This record gives sequence, structure tokens and C-alpha cells, in this order.
Amino acid sequence: MAEPILNVENLSKSFGKIKAVNQLSFEVAKGQVFGILGPNGSGKTTTLSMLLDLIQPDSGNFMWFGMPPSKGSRKRIGSVIESPNFFPYLDAVTNLQIVADIKDKTYNDIPDVLQAAGLYERRLSKFRTFSFGMRQRLAVASAMLGNPEVLILDEPTNGLDPQGIAQIRDIIAMVAARGTTILLASHLLDEVQKICNYVVVLRKGVMLFSGNVKEVLAVSDSIELAASDKDGLIIAIRDYPGFSSFTEIDGIIQVHFSKPADTAGINSFLAQKGIILSHLADKKRSLEQHFLELLQDSK
Amino acid sequence: MIKLLQIEFKKIRTYKVFWILTGLYFVFLSAGILLAEFMVNHMVDNINRRMPIPFPHVAIYYFPDVWQNVAFFASMRYVLIFPAIIMIILITNEFTYKTIRQNVINGMSKTEFLASKLLIIILMAIIMIVILTTGTFFIGLSHSGFTEVDFFSKGIPFMGGLFISLLCYMVYSFFCGFILRNTGLAIAIFTLYSLIIEPVIYYFLKAPFMFKNTISTYLPVNAVIRLTEYPAIPVLKKVMGLNLQDHVSLTTCLLPTAYAGIMIIVVFLIMKRKDL
Repeated sequence: MAEPILNVENLSKSFGKIKAVNQLSFEVAKGQVFGILGPNGSGKTTTLSMLLDLIQPDSGNFMWFGMPPSKGSRKRIGSVIESPNFFPYLDAVTNLQIVADIKDKTYNDIPDVLQAAGLYERRLSKFRTFSFGMRQRLAVASAMLGNPEVLILDEPTNGLDPQGIAQIRDIIAMVAARGTTILLASHLLDEVQKICNYVVVLRKGVMLFSGNVKEVLAVSDSIELAASDKDGLIIAIRDYPGFSSFTEIDGIIQVHFSKPADTAGINSFLAQKGIILSHLADKKRSLEQHFLELLQDSK
Repeated sequence: MIKLLQIEFKKIRTYKVFWILTGLYFVFLSAGILLAEFMVNHMVDNINRRMPIPFPHVAIYYFPDVWQNVAFFASMRYVLIFPAIIMIILITNEFTYKTIRQNVINGMSKTEFLASKLLIIILMAIIMIVILTTGTFFIGLSHSGFTEVDFFSKGIPFMGGLFISLLCYMVYSFFCGFILRNTGLAIAIFTLYSLIIEPVIYYFLKAPFMFKNTISTYLPVNAVIRLTEYPAIPVLKKVMGLNLQDHVSLTTCLLPTAYAGIMIIVVFLIMKRKDL
């Protein structure tokens, strides 16, 4: 495992009777694009707020860069939590200068991050004149200031139009390509699937699942088969490498594999065994289905 | 410390509301000071119409009395409320725009955040005192001429007292803004308390038909104003027998300073415990 950037141990926080975050533990390694996935109210923002010292945890602890959290560690992290927070009456450059001052960074990066966010032409406009998408992009730009070692993004594409979403994702991809560790909270599975390589799934503050995004997808591979010789089909498919289980629904056999299976391979394999398929469909379950199943299972 | 002030300065440098209110404060202050003599004498003339022996006109711009008179005017409730409102706006903006959260996220400690606001209060009080001292000096000079020997005997105590008044009153308003977090609410409650509620309480505590006491002088806003309780108008002393103050006593400075000190401690304790 690469050098750990963040260690979270048994982190808990309650608001009154509601346990917002319950005994949460995970680890983020350098260079990972780490997703925190969960429906609204699952404790994502509370978790990130604790990691940034905005909220005091009830119990548990965490370490940034192998050290107890401090203002120094926060200066090495670029963050967007919930909404973009800037002074509406100041222009984009002044707002970013304040961020740079706090982070002990020079102003040299400001034109670059504004370019990256597509806001350079509007750099002297007041923040209040910005559209929703521009505000979100300025927040991402400010998080990128001074080339931080970690980027924390909380629902960065929330409420944006498709073009805005694409712009933010391009920026994230660019930052990830530099090797920056990214911690992304989102309720959008598709987003986590596209951006992240590691994921933690939260529900009501409890961690349901954590693992590699690819593994999650591989586990959920299944293929639908049907043939006139149903019993022969079932016997034959058991011999296929990677077979794990099957279910039968309305004469269609749904087969699960422990590793990715290709339809062409299965087709020729069964043909050799004398089984002629009348139906063959790749039912790769999306992360979304898997996510919903995870949520179902835990009820 | 310099860096914290730089950050604060960036926050207000192009903030129109701040500069308009500060400008209004100085316009109101200078107009009040420069028109005061004319207005007082206008009142004297009105009274004199019904008096067999007319009162003499007052002169308030001479050294050394001009120091006390300026300090008296500048520490009136209606005048002090300007810088207080400015402070309320500066602190509540941080909550309204959630920039306090963002500052902490970006790596400012909560203590540094509060320190930066207290520094701006101190700096504003210093700038106001420098401007007022310079202005008062020139008013005094233009009325007394260079023949006057006693330029400063009242200058240091009264300007020092005014500095304490400005500082403490701005801390009060900062406290109010920090607790209430909402600009409109904080301004309304602070203004209402300073200008109406406390004077009413003061009146009932002091009224002879209640009971004799000195509790009234312990009210926080009164404690600030009391530093320069009376203007220096010699004729008043002669005619009305008022015992006018001729200096700002250090003991009267202790009370508002203690109030402000407690408020600062409370703010720090709340900041440490409360989630942002």
C-alpha cells in the first residue's frame, strides 16, 4: 500500500438522537481517487466537516499525512464543502488572494487556476455576478490553489447543468492525472463510477461497503442465458471457468461469475457442448444496482 | 499578525458598504463637532429672550476644553453606534457568506480568525483616534491661536478615554454580532438596546422614587459613555452649579474594559466548542 494520506478510526458524531456518523473507519492512500458514496443525509458532509475541523467528533480520531490534524495539515488540502463560500462583493482574484494568504501560498497560481476553471476573463468581476456553475468552478479553482496534496470535493457537480458537470469533471480528471489524492463525496453513483478508483458506501452514517470500484463491478457480473435444452444448459455452464452461481427466472437462467465473463467466449463454449442458445445477454450490473442492493441488504 | 491584518484589509478594501458607513460616520462626526457651538448658542439665544439677565455665549473650541468637548460628542450613543454597526456587519458577513467556515477549511485556526477581527477593531479605534486628535488639534489651534500655552493638558486623558470607549463599544457590538450571527437581527437588537432599552432601564434605576443606588452606572453602554460624561462648558458650571469633570479617571475605564474582556473570553470559549 502506498503511503497513507488519511487514516480515519472509529469516527462518530451525533446530532441529538441522530447518529450522523457511526464508527467510521477507512484509509486513503496517496494518489487514490477516493469516493464517499451515499444518499443525502448519509453522513458524507458531516464526515468531511470533521476531517476539516469544522465539527468536533464525539469520538474516534483521524490523522492527516500520518500526523494529528492541525491548521498546518489543512493548508496542504484544497477543499470545497457544500456550497462555494466567497465574499459576494469581492472580485474573483481578491477572493482567491484571501485563500492564498491563509494557505501561505503565493499569488502566482491564481491566473493558472482561473484559466483551468475557465474564469480568467471574468477574474475582475464580483463573485455575486457569477452564475451557479461559475461559482462552483471558482470553488474548485480555489481548492486547486497552490497545488495541494489532497483535494476534497463535496458534491462538486450538484445542481449543475450537463455542460457544467462536464467542465468540473474535466478539471478533476486533470488534477487526478497530476497524482493529487482526491476525496470525493457524492450521491451520484455514475459520478463515483466515472471518477473514482476506490469507494466507501455510507448509509445513515454507517459504512456498508468499501472497496475498489473495479472489484465492485467485477463481482456483480452476470449473464442471462436461455436454451430449449434448459437442463443441459445448466449442467454445461457449471463447467465454465469463473462460474459461481445461477438463478432461474421465467425460463431464463441468470448466471453469476466471480470474474468478468465475455459473451462470445460463453457462446462458443456452449456451442461446443452442443447447447444452442436462444437468448444471450450481458447483464453487467451497474454500480448503481449494486449500490441500491447494498442499501436494501442493510435494511 | 501583520498577515491577519492584510487578510482583513483585503476583505474590506473594495467593500462599498464599509467605506460608505465609515464616510458617513466621519461626515456626521465633523458636522456635529463643527456645528455644536452654533447650535448651543442658538439655544442660549432662545432662552435669553425670556431671561432678564442673558446668559453669555459659550465657546467650546478653545484649548484645552476642545479635547473634552470632542471626546464628549464622539462618545455619545448616537455617534458611537456608527462604528458599532460597521463591526456588526463585518463579523456577521462572515457567517452570512460562510466565509468563516471557508477560512478555517483553508487553514486558519479559529483563534486566528477571532484575533484578526479583534485586530481590526483595535486598528479602527487607533485610526479614528488619530483622525480625531489631528482634527481637534487644528480646531483648537484655529480658535486659540499660538498664544495658548495649555495645548495638551486635557488632550491625552480625553483622547485616551475616547479610545477606550471606541474599543470597548466595538467589542460589545462584535460580541452581539458573533452571538446572533444575523446582520439585520444583530443591528436591530444592538441599536435598540443601546439607544432605547438601556436608557429606559437607566432612568428607572436612577429615578429617586425607586431607590437610591449606583447600579445604573454599571450598565454596559452607560459604562462606556460615562468616561466623558460632560462637555467642558465653563458657564454651565457657574450658572447651574454642575460639577463638571476635568479628566477621565482610570477607575471608570476599568468597568467597560472588564465587560469587553469578559465578552472576548466568552467569544473564544464559544468558538472553541461550537461547530461551524
